[in-house]
Parts: sequence; C-alpha cells; structure tokens
Amino acid sequence: MDRLLSVENLSISFRTDEGPITPVQGVSFGVDRGRTLGIVGESGSGKSVSTKALMRLLPGSASLSPETRMRYRAKNGETVAIETLKPRDRALRRLRGGEIGMIFQEPMASFSPVYSIGNQMIETIRLHRGLGGRAARDLAVEMLAKVGISSPETRVDQYPHEMSGGMRQRAMIALALSAGPALLIADEPTTALDVTIQAQVLDLMRDLQRDLGMAMIFITHDLGVIAQIADEVAVMYLGTIVERGPTREVIRRPLHPYTRGLLEAIPAIDRLDARLKPVPGDIPSPSQRPSGCPFRTRCPEAVPGLCDRAAPRETAVGEGRAVRCHLHDAARAAA
Amino acid sequence: MARFVLERLLGMVLTLFLVSIMVYFIMELPPGDYADRFAFRKYSGTGVTVTEAMIEEIRRDLGLDRPAYLRYFDWISGIVLRGDFGMAYSFLTPVTNVLGDKVWLTLGLLFATLLITYAVSIPIGIYAAVRRGSAADYGLTVFSYLGLALPNFLLALIMLYCANRWFGASVGGLFSPQFENAPWSLAKVWDLVKHLWLPAFVLAWSAVAYQLQTVRATMSDELNKLSVVAARARGVPETRLLVKYPARLAINPVVSTIGFDVNRIFSELPIVAAVLGLTELGDLLLKAYLDLDMNVAGAILLMLTTIIVVMNFVSDLLLGWLDPRIRMGA
Ligand SMILES: Nc1ncnc2c1ncn2[C@@H]1O[C@H](COP(=O)(O)OP(=O)(O)OP(=O)(O)O)[C@@H](O)[C@H]1O
Ligand SMILES: [Mg+2]
Repeated sequence: MDRLLSVENLSISFRTDEGPITPVQGVSFGVDRGRTLGIVGESGSGKSVSTKALMRLLPGSASLSPETRMRYRAKNGETVAIETLKPRDRALRRLRGGEIGMIFQEPMASFSPVYSIGNQMIETIRLHRGLGGRAARDLAVEMLAKVGISSPETRVDQYPHEMSGGMRQRAMIALALSAGPALLIADEPTTALDVTIQAQVLDLMRDLQRDLGMAMIFITHDLGVIAQIADEVAVMYLGTIVERGPTREVIRRPLHPYTRGLLEAIPAIDRLDARLKPVPGDIPSPSQRPSGCPFRTRCPEAVPGLCDRAAPRETAVGEGRAVRCHLHDAARAAA
Repeated sequence: MARFVLERLLGMVLTLFLVSIMVYFIMELPPGDYADRFAFRKYSGTGVTVTEAMIEEIRRDLGLDRPAYLRYFDWISGIVLRGDFGMAYSFLTPVTNVLGDKVWLTLGLLFATLLITYAVSIPIGIYAAVRRGSAADYGLTVFSYLGLALPNFLLALIMLYCANRWFGASVGGLFSPQFENAPWSLAKVWDLVKHLWLPAFVLAWSAVAYQLQTVRATMSDELNKLSVVAARARGVPETRLLVKYPARLAINPVVSTIGFDVNRIFSELPIVAAVLGLTELGDLLLKAYLDLDMNVAGAILLMLTTIIVVMNFVSDLLLGWLDPRIRMGA
C-alpha cells in the first residue's frame, strides 16, 4: 500500500494549572493514499488534539514526547518529519492547507465573520495554488459549485452569516479543498448539523473523496458514521487507540470490550424500540488516569489483579488489525 | 452600505436637533438673564437708579422678551444658515470673534490626543496579547494600572516640571510668545505641534492605559477563536494571519468607544488646560457661565456636543465598514 501518513508513538502533554497532563499516549496509526481512516471515541478521548498535532496546531502549553514520529509523504515525493518542523518553516506552511486540509465541527466559527467566503477561499488559493486575480476567483466559484452550493457566483461574495449551517459546512469543505490537499482531516464535520443535512454532507464528502482521490481522516463519536465512510477505523479511549483495523472486520468482530460497547450503543433501525445502551460510566479525566488499562474502570469484563496492574500492549491480530486488551492476550496465550 | 450610512446620518441629525434644544434649555436655566447684568454694567457708578422699566427696555432691545421657542428658532437658524452664533453680550462683539481660534485649537488637541491614544494602545495591546504571560506583557499591565491610577493633572505637573527642568522648553500655552498673535504660517503650525504634544500626551495617558487593556483582552479572546486556528491550518503566514484575523476584530471595541473617549477628553480638558496654561474652550465656557453670557456658553456647549455626536457617527461608520454583520444589520 502507498503510505501517505504514518504516526508512531504520538504522546501529547499539556502544562496546566493543576500540573502536567498527558491526554494522548503512544498513539500510532497510518493513512494510505486515497483511503479513509475513521477515528472514533467519546468526548475527551484525544481525537482533536491528536489531529491538531499533525498540523502542529497545538497551543504553546502543549509538547510532544521525544518518541513521537510523524512522517508525511509530500506531493513532491519528499518525506516530511512533521514533529521536527519549526513554526516559521515554509514546509510547515505548505503542509498546512496545501498538503493537509482541515475542517472543523463548527462551520460558523471556522470562518472569520468579517471576510466574505470568497475572500478566505481566494487567500488559500493564492497561497497554495499560485493563482491570482480572476483565475483564483474562478477556482473558488468552481469549488463552491463542486460542493453543491447553488448560484456560486453570488455566494462567493457572501459572508458566513448569510448562509445556513449546512451551506456553511459545504463552503468550509470547499475552502479546505480549494488548496488541493492530498489528505483531508475532518473533525466531526457533521455533528453540529441536523440529521438530514448530516447525511447530505456525508454523501458529499464520500463523493468528493472518490473524485479527487484524496485521503481522509474522519473523526466522529458515532461508529454508525464510520461504517458508512471509513475504510479503516481506530477506536480511541482516554488518549490511546484500543483497537484498530479494517472497518468491516472491526464492526463484524469487535475484539475490545469498549468497541463492543460502542457498537451496542448504535440504535439499529430494525429494533428502534430497544433502548440505547451507552457504555456505562464516564470517561475519566486525563489527570486521573486509572492504573493499568485505562478502560478498566468501565469495563464489564475487567479482571482484578490483571487489568489494574499493567497497561496492555498493542497486539497485532491478522492483517492490519491490532487490539490493546489483556483479555485478548490471555485468550491467545491459552489457545 | 448606502442604506446603513443614510440611517446613521438621519440618526445623527435627529440627535443634533435634540442636543441643540437641550443646550438651549441649559442656556436658559440660570436665574435672571443678561438684561439685568447689562443694566448693572451700563449704569454702575453713574448714580442712576435702575428701574424695572429700564431693564425691560434693555430686554426688549436684546430681544430677550420674546417667547423661548422663537428665540431658540432664531438662534439655531442663525447658526445653521449663517454660522452666526449671536452676540457675546459681555464683549459686545459676535460670539465667533470671541471663540476665534480656540475652536480649532481645541479640535487640534482633541485629534492629537485621539491619534496618540490609538497609535499607542492598539499596537501595544495587540503585542501584549500575542506575547501573553511574557515579561513584556506583565510590564505593560503594570504600566497601564499606573496609567489608570495616576490623575492626569498630576501627570501634567510632573511633565511640566520635567520639560522645564531638562529641556528648558516653554511648554505652557499652545504657542511660543513670538507666534501668539502672528498670522498662520508653517512656522506657526510647527510651533503649535511642538506645544501640542505635551497636553495631548497628558490627555491621552489614561485613555491609552484603558484602551490598551481593552485591546489586549479582546485580542486574547480573538486569538483563541476557531477561525484563527482554521486560518493557520490553511497555511496563512503568522504575521499576516495575526493582522488579518484577530487584530482586525480586536480593534472593534476601540472603534465603538471613540465617542466615549472624546467625551472623556473634553471632561478632562479644563483641568489639564488650567495646569498647562492653555486657553481653550472649557476655560471660556466657565467664564461665560459666570457672566451669564449665554450665547457664548451656548455656542461652546453646542460645539462640544456636536463634536461628540459627530465622532459617534464616525465611530458607527467605521464599525460598519469594519464589520459586515453590523453593516448588514445582522
Ligand atoms: N489546550 C489544552 N490544555 C490542556 N488540556 C487540553 C487542551 N486541549 C485539550 N486538552 C485535553 O485533552 C483531552 C482531549 O481533548 P480533545 O479535544 O482531543 O478530545 P476529543 O476526543 O476531540 O473530544 P470531542 O469529541 O469532545 O471533540 C481533553 O480531556 C482535554 O482535557
Ligand atoms: Mg474534538
């Protein structure tokens, strides 16, 4: 496979008033060219900070551990070591937007309210495509049309507050795509939208990804969404990836108790009367990480004396699959 | 935009009309009128016993016996149509002669003060927010608390002392003696600038301290906005990003309070002017009130309030120009 991005041992710490916290620990994943990786996990599991680290967008209070390796294969064939880039590097500016595009959960807040949609698109096009004037504007209009915005020639001059939520998210997608990235990171792009619009935006993103041959990292709370859009999935819990692998296999045969819990939480169409079963309990805060396996405090199958002793290692299970669970290791050892 | 400007313009004209009525009302407020004072001046020391009838006659001569709304109408139409503010009774000459250059000097001082205020507070406030938590930031915070705590007449005295002591400059007044009554020339303007910076600096002092904190606070907010992170994620170079995204919005609260700044400058002006020996409108206003010379007092009040109203209008326009949400009434 053609690896576009590989992340190894990503650990992120923050200096806070209550002392240092490490909300992301030893995360490894990869994205192949033209494929979609879904990252799923509850609020606070570290999905956003992990992807921000890829763009070096973390605030000054954050630091990466020395073991962190983030390799990106740029369009010109060079390999960029993302963790070594300096804030003023040209390579970093090219990476941001030109190589990796990003869209966020809140489309309204992602645009500056005082510039037109077109202004912000043309700025991006100038920076990354080397186009100016008329050509940049034409491309902006073309991108707006591509994401399904009607009468793009007039919309291009409108301000974010003149658009509806769904249209703004489409415009945000157009803005990210106008730089021509090879990888798009979508951080819960549909969470703020209502259900019908969500489905439309999801369809749009899938189509665009196929048309443009772009790779994607899609972040969500919802395994149901992952099932629709992702080729691979990584399940994140309290700053570590507890299970990863091809989406169909993970959904058909989840290995980690947390993944199973998430799958059971999806309301199925054929049993709408069945009660939604969320994973019981709350995710602990990163400052109160349980000893041993981070999930053991909520795990229905936790074994005292085993799970609270040591953190489980990641175990490879077949082609491209891995799980991080003592039970799985024990079962394998027994077999 | 045209609609927005028109609306604000109408609003301003209406405000000015109401303000002019208020000013006139204030002019009428003190007991007695100039007729008494005039009679007293005219006959004091002559041994003549002033009778009610004589005062009545003076009152008729000066037109002070007519109903208030007619006199208001005469007054305001004279000002609007002919720039005629009426007679300064105590000088027996038109008000415009009495005010003379003082209007321009006050305006000059006002604009110089505003210029210093914004030229200093906006860039420094932005810098402090960007370097938040650094030594420079703490230093500026301490400085601006100092600025808020130190009364500016005290500052004026300190500056006066320092300027005299170390520069030997004649900082009192607005002109050097040789230019005081000279016709306007380039040299005179330069002389004015040399004298203007000190009072402007003193008047700007607390405004800088205040606006610096405002800019720093809003800039800090803006820096954390998702739109800034999003622009950074698009690869916008950092300096350009700071100017285009957060800084552009961080000056909104400053722009929207231009009117307050003008108001505050006018309130502080008389005491600063007294310390620095400037003759400006505030000083004259006080004298006119003591003399019941209401045309002079009215003209000054009207000018000062008009400046405030116009500056509010300008602030509205700037805000509309800066922010499309305001311009479009969203
Ligand atoms: N600037 C910061 N300073 C300190 N801690 C932070 C900061 N940003 C994030 N964190 C911590 O990192 C953890 C993970 O945050 P993150 O935003 O990545 O979660 P998430 O998985 O994206 O959740 P959500 O689904 O709600 O977006 C949080 O628990 C938070 O406490
Ligand atoms: Mg998030």
